[in-house]
Amino acid sequence: MESSGYLWTAFSLAWALVFGYVLLLINRQRGLRHDIEALKATLKEKEGRK
Amino acid sequence: MTFWRKVFTITWKDALSEMRTREIIFTVLVFTLLIFVLFSFAFGSNPETMSLVAPGLLWVTFAFSGVLSLNRAFIPEKEQGCLEGLMVCPVSREVIYAGKMLSSLLFMLIIEAIALPTFAFLFNLPVLSLQLIVITILTTIGFVAVGTLFSALAVNTKAREMVLPILFFPIIAPIIIGAVNASGSALAGEPWQNMLSWLQIIAAFDVIFLVVPFLIFAFVIEE
Amino acid sequence: MKSKILLWVSLLLMVFNFYMIFIYAPIEREMGIVQKIFYLMVPAGWLALLSFVIVLIGSILYLVKRESRWDALAFSAAETGIVFTTMTLIVGSTWARPVWGVWWVWEPRLTATLVLWLIYLAYFLVRSFTAEESRAARFSAIVGIVGAIDVPIVILAIVVWRTQHPPALIFQGGLAPEMLQALMVSIAAFTVLYVLILIQRVSLKNDATEIARLKGLLRED
Repeated sequence: MESSGYLWTAFSLAWALVFGYVLLLINRQRGLRHDIEALKATLKEKEGRK
Repeated sequence: MTFWRKVFTITWKDALSEMRTREIIFTVLVFTLLIFVLFSFAFGSNPETMSLVAPGLLWVTFAFSGVLSLNRAFIPEKEQGCLEGLMVCPVSREVIYAGKMLSSLLFMLIIEAIALPTFAFLFNLPVLSLQLIVITILTTIGFVAVGTLFSALAVNTKAREMVLPILFFPIIAPIIIGAVNASGSALAGEPWQNMLSWLQIIAAFDVIFLVVPFLIFAFVIEE
Repeated sequence: MKSKILLWVSLLLMVFNFYMIFIYAPIEREMGIVQKIFYLMVPAGWLALLSFVIVLIGSILYLVKRESRWDALAFSAAETGIVFTTMTLIVGSTWARPVWGVWWVWEPRLTATLVLWLIYLAYFLVRSFTAEESRAARFSAIVGIVGAIDVPIVILAIVVWRTQHPPALIFQGGLAPEMLQALMVSIAAFTVLYVLILIQRVSLKNDATEIARLKGLLRED
């Protein structure tokens, strides 16, 4: 690999890591939103039963 | 004054228990010697190679046997419920830390006192110098200072004794580096000046990791 | 609102940073264009260390106050910390190959970063191997404190050790003023990005803890 190839590899890997982590966080946030909706539904159900 | 009396009571209890069962010292000692033999298979065919790798070999072995010995500091307590018993006594958590640390130190020093001459005998190296003894004592203090804290922590996790090496080895990296380099100088018969910076690093580590675990040990065994 | 501003600042700063690195900063004499990896490695290494300081602060505050938001801070800093430590290792390795011909060298910065990475790993392993959530937080706080205090000694020992057998310096050319400016911009840009990510991670962890708590309450009914 020519010298500048390593430069691009380094930058690509670094940014892939950052974006990968950010995507992971976004996914987790989606999961949490889903949990909140489920909780809200359960709460409504409980209110309904009372 | 009663602080030290309580500490020594705990240390003495461990020592008595060990004298009866000889669990720790015997098994760890055999383990240590077996590792020496194993390393001789790895490097022993060439005596020059052997004198090159001797310091590293010595301290890797002591690190492994250290973990073995430190694991025993709290596992029997946990299994037989002695830890709860200890905590019910009117002793501060710091006393338990100091007592356990000193008993681990005692056991490790006894093991090293036997392992070092054996090492000298097997590999024909001058390990019985005052320098090496000082290095060994200083480094072992560092081992038990951190190891006692982590041992108490590890025992309370799901993976128990497997956790201790994961915690222990990265943290003691500085004193392993220090001990190996200082031992290398000592085995080469160099004067004290050459190893001064290493001894300072080990000593600084000891001071810091005697104080910090002492202060935060209570957080490990609160319940 | 604040995070929107932060996002835009981060974006703009990073674009400016790319300009600085690739256009403004001169190409180093000896290593050529590969030297520009430097502008990635220094910020990554700096953030790896900064994270550990935050882990230390969060851990101490958690042990003292027992409020889960401090544990959230420590945990989030540890997670972002290990991401940037991994980045330092990967980038460092990719740089070592063209410069020294090998994928790994035991030079001081890389060696110390590897030990740092292992301490971060220990933080997460202890956390996952501990049964109950508050105990896990407590134990990882202890690991965080001991680890953070260890880091300076690790660096000291490794530097003294490797200075005995000095490898080739990172680069002999020295730092031109434009290079220093580009480096400062890069550190600033990555730090802003780091803060942005950290804030998001902390709020995520706090939300997760709250949801778990609510679930527990609901189950009791």
